[in-house]
Amino acid sequence: MAPLLAVARRECQRFARRPLYWFCMIGAPLLCLVFFLTLMASGLPDDLPLGLVDDDATATSRQLARNLDAFQQTDIVACFPTVTEARRAMQRGEIYGFYYIPEGTTRTLQRQEQARVSFYMNYSYLIAGSLLFRDMKTMSELASGAAMQQVMLARGATERQAMALLQPIVIDTHPLGNPWLNYSVYLNNTLLPGVLMLFIFMITVHSLGIEIKEQTSRQWLSLARGSLPVALTGKLLPQTAVFFLVWALIDVVMYGWLRFPCHCGLPVMLGVSLLGVVAAQGMGVFMFGVLPTLRLGLSFASLWGVISFSISGMSFPVMAMHPVLQGLSYLFPLRHYFLLYVNFALNGYGAADIWPHLVGLAAFVLLPLVILRRLKRALLTAKYVP
Amino acid sequence: MKVLRNIGRRFRQSLHDVAWIFWRELRQTVRDEGVLIFFLLVPLAYPLVYAFIYNDEVVRDVPVAVVDDSRTTRSRDYLRRVDASPDVRVAAYCADMEEARRLMRERRAYGIIYVPATFNDDLMCGRQTYVSIFCDMSGLLYYKALLSSNTYVSLAMNARIKVERLPGLTAEQDKTLAQPLAYEEVSLYNPQNGFAAFLIPAVLVLVIHQTLLLGIGLSAGTARERNRFHELIPVNRHYGGLLRIVLGKSLAYLLVYVPVSVYVLGVVPRLFSLPQIGQPATLALFALPFLLATIFFAMTVSVAVRQRESCMLLVVFTSVPLLFISGISWPGAAVPEFWRVVSWLVPSTFGINGYVRINSMGADLSQVATEWNALWAQAAVYFLTACLVYRAQIHGARRRLLARYRTLRDRRRNLQVQRLKKLS
Repeated sequence: MAPLLAVARRECQRFARRPLYWFCMIGAPLLCLVFFLTLMASGLPDDLPLGLVDDDATATSRQLARNLDAFQQTDIVACFPTVTEARRAMQRGEIYGFYYIPEGTTRTLQRQEQARVSFYMNYSYLIAGSLLFRDMKTMSELASGAAMQQVMLARGATERQAMALLQPIVIDTHPLGNPWLNYSVYLNNTLLPGVLMLFIFMITVHSLGIEIKEQTSRQWLSLARGSLPVALTGKLLPQTAVFFLVWALIDVVMYGWLRFPCHCGLPVMLGVSLLGVVAAQGMGVFMFGVLPTLRLGLSFASLWGVISFSISGMSFPVMAMHPVLQGLSYLFPLRHYFLLYVNFALNGYGAADIWPHLVGLAAFVLLPLVILRRLKRALLTAKYVP
Repeated sequence: MKVLRNIGRRFRQSLHDVAWIFWRELRQTVRDEGVLIFFLLVPLAYPLVYAFIYNDEVVRDVPVAVVDDSRTTRSRDYLRRVDASPDVRVAAYCADMEEARRLMRERRAYGIIYVPATFNDDLMCGRQTYVSIFCDMSGLLYYKALLSSNTYVSLAMNARIKVERLPGLTAEQDKTLAQPLAYEEVSLYNPQNGFAAFLIPAVLVLVIHQTLLLGIGLSAGTARERNRFHELIPVNRHYGGLLRIVLGKSLAYLLVYVPVSVYVLGVVPRLFSLPQIGQPATLALFALPFLLATIFFAMTVSVAVRQRESCMLLVVFTSVPLLFISGISWPGAAVPEFWRVVSWLVPSTFGINGYVRINSMGADLSQVATEWNALWAQAAVYFLTACLVYRAQIHGARRRLLARYRTLRDRRRNLQVQRLKKLS
C-alpha cells in the first residue's frame, strides 16, 4: 500500500506543477461544457431564415406565406422577384431555402383545378434544410386541406365529416425519451463525454510518455518497488479522481440542473461515467504500450478520440456504416458508453439487455494487462525519440 | 547613387535571408517525422477515413416492429407499403405491444408502428383513424426515417380513400380532389440528403486548419527544445529582420500546403463523388487567403507551445467546437451572438463556409465576398500579431542572452579580482 501512495503523491506533485494538465483535465472540459450547452441552449433552432418567391401575389398566396412565417422554425426574411435571385441569396448563405408560388396559383385553385407550388431546401446545411423542409411540407399539406375544407363546408358537410375526408389516416408520433426533439439532449449526452474521453486518452499517454522523455521512469518504477501494476495504479488513480469529478459535474449539470431525460436516476449514470473514465484510461495505457513514444502514442490517442465521435453512432447510425466499421466500432469506449446511456438514461431500460456493453466497457480496463511486459521494457530501456 | 546602391544591397541581402530561412524551415519540415505526419499523412489519410465512415450517405431499412390489431386487408396494405418504402424495414410482426417493446429493448427494432383495432372500421364509417408510431430517439435519423415513411404512405392512402368516397368524378377532378395544391420538393446541392455530402466538405477544411496548427505548433515546440536556451528563434546572422523570419517561415508552410490543399479540397470530393460544382479558379483564389490566415494564426498561437508534444493536447480537442461553431452542423442562424463573435477569430469559420458554398453550392467569388474579405483581414491581422509575438520572442531572447553574458562576465571579473588579491 505504501508504494502505491508514494507513487500517487509523486503524481499529484507532478501535475500540480504543470499548467498544461490543469488546462486539459479541468479547464478545457469545462469550457466545452459551457460552450456546447450554451450553443444549443434553444434545443431546436428557431426562426431559420427562409426566402419567398411570390409570383402569384394574391391575398391567398400572402396568407400562405404568413402562415408559413408563423411556424416556429421558419422565418421569412426576404421576398425575391425571381427564383434565380432567391438561389443567389442561398449561395450567399442568407437563406437556407425558399418557397415558390408561381403566377396563377390562386386562379387555378378557384377553377377547381390542381395548382402546383414548389419549395427548395439547401441540404448542404442538413439540419437547417431538414427543419425547413418539414415546415414547408406541412404548410403545403395544410394549404391543400384548407382549400378542400372550404369546398366541403360549402357543400354542406360538417367539420368532422370534412376532416375525415381530408385526412382519413392520421399519424400520431411519439418520439420516446426526447419528445421535444431537443438537439442539445440528442448531441451533448455523447459529445461532452466524447471530449472528456479524448482528454483522458491524451493525458494518460502524455503522463506515461513524459516519464521516458524526462528520463524519470526508473525513479518512478523504483518508487513502486519495481512493480509496474502498482506504478500504473498509483499514477492513474489521482487522474481517475479528477476526471471522474469533472464527468460527475457534467452529469449533474445535464441531468440534475438542465433536467435532461435520465430515467435511471443520477447514481446509475455516475456509475457508468466512472466506468467510462477507467475504461478510457485503460485504453490510454494500451495506446502507449503499443506505440511507446510520446508523439506516436499521442497521435494514436488523438486519432482514436476524434474518430470516436463519428463511429459511436450518435449522429450517423452505425448500422448504416460499412460492416467492417460496424465491427471496429466496438473498439471505441465511446460506442459502448453511448449505448449504455441510451439504454439507461434515455430509454430507462434495465441492464438485462445491455450487459454485453457493460462488459465491453469493463474489458477496456483490463486492456493494459496485454501490453504490460512490452510497456515495462519500454519504460526501462526506451530513449526519447522526438 | 551610393544611397541607391546601398538600398539595393540591403534589399538583396534581405531577399537572400528570406530564401535562407525558407530553405531551412522546409528542410526541417521534411526531416522532422512528426511534422511530416501532420503535414502529409493526416491530410492524406484522414479525409479517406471520414469519407469511408459516412460513405453510405443515408440510413436505409431501419428495422421496426409492427403491432397490427386491425388485421384487415387495409391495415396489411398500409404496412406492406411502409415495408416497401426505402427507409424502413418491418423486422417483426408482433402479437402485442409488450413483445414489440422487448424488440426495442434488444435493439432489434428502432421503432413501433401500432395500427389500432378500429383502423378499418373507422375508415369504412368515414371517421378519422390514428396510426401511432413510437421511435427510439438515440438517433434523429431513425426518427426521420420512420416519420417520413409513414407520412408518405398515409398521404398516398389518404388520397386514394378520398377518391373512393366521392365517386362519379372525372380523372382530372379526382386528381384535384386528392390534392388541390400539389407541391414539388427540390433538394438543392445535396440531392440525396446525404450525411457525407453535408459533413465531409466542412471536415476537409477543418483538416487543413488543424494540421497546420498542429504542425506549426510542433515545429515551434521542437525549435524551443533543440535550442540551448529554450528560445523559439535561433541566434543567427540570417535571423536579423523580423519580416524575413515571418515571411521565410510562412512561405515554407505555404509551399507545402499548396499541393496538400489541391488534394484535400479538389481531389477528395471527386474520389468519393461528393458534390463538386465549384470553379477551380474560384476555389484557388479562395484557398489562398484561407491558407495565409491559418498559417499566420498558427504562427501566432505557436508561441504558447513550450514543449514539442503539448500542441497536440491543446489543438486536437478544438476540432469539435470549431466544427459546431462554424455553422454547418448547427445552423449558423441559431448560433448565439457571443459565440458568433468568437467564431470570427478563427480562420476555419470563414474557410468552411466559403468552401462549402463554392464547392457544394457553386458560388462565385462575389457570393463569398464576406468570407473572402474576412480571411484577408484575418491574414493581415494575424500577420501583424505573428510579427509582434516573434519580436517579443527575439527581444526576450536577446535580453536573456545578454543577462547570461553579463553574469558570466561578472563572474569572470570577480575571479580575476580574487586572483589579483591573492597575488598581491
